[in-house]
Amino acid sequence: MSLALRNLVQDKTRFALSVGGVALAVMLTLLLNGFLAGMYAQITAYLENAPGSIVIAQDGVNNLLGATSLLPAGAAVAVKSEGAENVVPILSQFIILELHEKKQPAYLIGFDPKIGGGPWRMAAGREPRNEREVVFDRILAQRHNITLGETFEIMDRDFTVVGLSDGTSSWMTSFIFVRKVAAENLLRAPDASSFLLVTPPARFDDAAMLARLRNVARVQVLPKQQVMANDKQLFGKFFSAPIQLMVAIAFLVGTLIVGLVIYTATVERQREYGVLKAIGAKNGVLYRVVATQAVIAAGAGSLIGIAATYGAARLIMSVYPQFLVVVEPRAMFQSLVIGLGMALLAALFPARVIARLAPAEVFRK
Amino acid sequence: MIRLGLRNLFQNKTRLIISVGGVALALLLILVLDAVVTGVQTQVTSFIDNSNADIIVSQENVRNLHMAYSAIPASFETRVRNVAGVASVTPIHYLTNLIEIGDVSNLAYVIGLPREVDAGGPWRIVAGNPLPADGEAIIDRGVAVNSGVGIGDTVKILGEEFKIAGLSDGTTTISGGSVAFIAEKDFVRTRKDTGSVSFLFVRVKSNTSSAVVAAQIEKQVDKATAQTRDQFAERERQVVNDMSTDIVTIMNLVGFLIGIAVMALTVYTATLARRAEYGVLKAVGARNLHLYGVVLAQAFVSVVLGFGVGLGITLLLVALVPQMDLPIALEVSGASLVKVASVSLVIAALSALLPIKQIAGLDPARVFRGK
Repeated sequence: MSLALRNLVQDKTRFALSVGGVALAVMLTLLLNGFLAGMYAQITAYLENAPGSIVIAQDGVNNLLGATSLLPAGAAVAVKSEGAENVVPILSQFIILELHEKKQPAYLIGFDPKIGGGPWRMAAGREPRNEREVVFDRILAQRHNITLGETFEIMDRDFTVVGLSDGTSSWMTSFIFVRKVAAENLLRAPDASSFLLVTPPARFDDAAMLARLRNVARVQVLPKQQVMANDKQLFGKFFSAPIQLMVAIAFLVGTLIVGLVIYTATVERQREYGVLKAIGAKNGVLYRVVATQAVIAAGAGSLIGIAATYGAARLIMSVYPQFLVVVEPRAMFQSLVIGLGMALLAALFPARVIARLAPAEVFRK
Repeated sequence: MIRLGLRNLFQNKTRLIISVGGVALALLLILVLDAVVTGVQTQVTSFIDNSNADIIVSQENVRNLHMAYSAIPASFETRVRNVAGVASVTPIHYLTNLIEIGDVSNLAYVIGLPREVDAGGPWRIVAGNPLPADGEAIIDRGVAVNSGVGIGDTVKILGEEFKIAGLSDGTTTISGGSVAFIAEKDFVRTRKDTGSVSFLFVRVKSNTSSAVVAAQIEKQVDKATAQTRDQFAERERQVVNDMSTDIVTIMNLVGFLIGIAVMALTVYTATLARRAEYGVLKAVGARNLHLYGVVLAQAFVSVVLGFGVGLGITLLLVALVPQMDLPIALEVSGASLVKVASVSLVIAALSALLPIKQIAGLDPARVFRGK
């Protein structure tokens, strides 16, 4: 251990560069996973905070954000007749806003303030009172200097911003809220509803309510948690492949960095390793010395990488408030395991040098 | 100078492989991310690019299709048809929905087509009918193959059952989705559409400027936006671009930093290993500037090799990904190559700073003292 440590820190610049390189690779892995976790939290924020535990959608639609849903007329009445305690209709649709020459996707939710389904936390202002008022996501408004009282064009109509909501932001899309009748006008869909958010009465549990609601024709009945999982799966399907690819690249980069450092340190100390072999040290002992160096470099890099991720995440979220980076304990544990994996793989480079080393060689030099 | 740098670099093959590999991977991070964004931009416009429409008319201020919603009165069809220079108008119904095949749901742009279609229909049919009749659907061949269905089988779209009447090619879109075509009559019935359509796909007469006709349509038809196909496609790409700009910037920065760390480390260790030789060169009169050139040449050559390897792996991925059934398409753009090449040069220059400092501080006399 002592030999390994001394060998490793003998050149401080090289040690610092190797630890820094591993830290960057670990940080990249953690940030990518943090983006994914943050995105999941953001895209499910609406349903997480919306009333009810059951979602009714158009037959064949099993998520909130992926597909346009339009319920058959009379669906709300049919659901109520099955004994639902509370039924909240919303009309929702992805739209593209033009903000300062930039295209910004937003998820428009039309709701009835008396029934619910609107913003759950207001940062400023109030909910819309008429069909010409809108509540904007606070961060989206901040990024584009939109203030309360401002008039804003959504599709072919003008709206006045009367409130700013909190917790409704995402880099993919942000939520904006209007009265349901305003959404009906915008989408030219009078009396239409996309989803019903259903709360069962105290006498039914969710399973019993779900069973009863399956009698309603031409609708999809799903537990809210299932709809949230489907949304995550839909977005995850698209993002997980490139993110996994980048995590794999980060892992390889980290491995190469540690490998290079330990390899160089071993080559430089080739004579000393030869002497150790000549006086009877077995290859196993020398492998351990090399592996220990790799574990120390990778371990230090991983720990610094984890700490740096917190700093980088804070910095990213302050510069780009639409991003949420969630560093989960499980991801940190994973990065430590990844660091250990890098160390063990990296030790293979110098181990090859040691295995080939002839003890007599050192005396001939 | 370059020769000495090259010999120094190639003297230790393992270190060279690690160094070039590290840079290649760091640049690969940037290249792959750019390729994902470019691939998405191409996918997102495939329907519009192949629509055969010269002009697309939509609800006022709706300028693209992906993640957007447009509804215009069906009566606009006649008004647009009466604009000078218009050859034909095809009303298109559109929304994002799911194609259900058994337990599997596939995201799709669902397009409702009238009986007469001049623009907006499937552009490459590989089996079956070219247009859907009532109760029929034309779906993407890849979706059908992956789900094990074919002509005559049943799929569920908009919650209704449709018989597969045709299979189209090239109709995959963003997020692993596809384009599915059904008859206008079925679309209107399932959506309970109240006299509106999503878009009007307009063909203009020959020798007529699409831009001029589009301007005329906007002038003569209130509450409508008319854009040429190229303008519409550009807006579509802009949606992807604007959504991904920030995340691409962050990831590029991380890739850049990793590239610098790897290169700095390799050039530094290579210089360190040859410290005695550099000392000898200094002792026999080599100027610092000359030695700096050697270090820079090493860094430059490593980065060029790394760029080549990174690009090679990226191109390999571009070729392999379509065969791996992944919901992404990769495409390397010229702009991305220029950007990564520039980043590589900056990495080479910055990574040479540490060893240059090392050489500057090297005392020639030390080599004779054996230090």
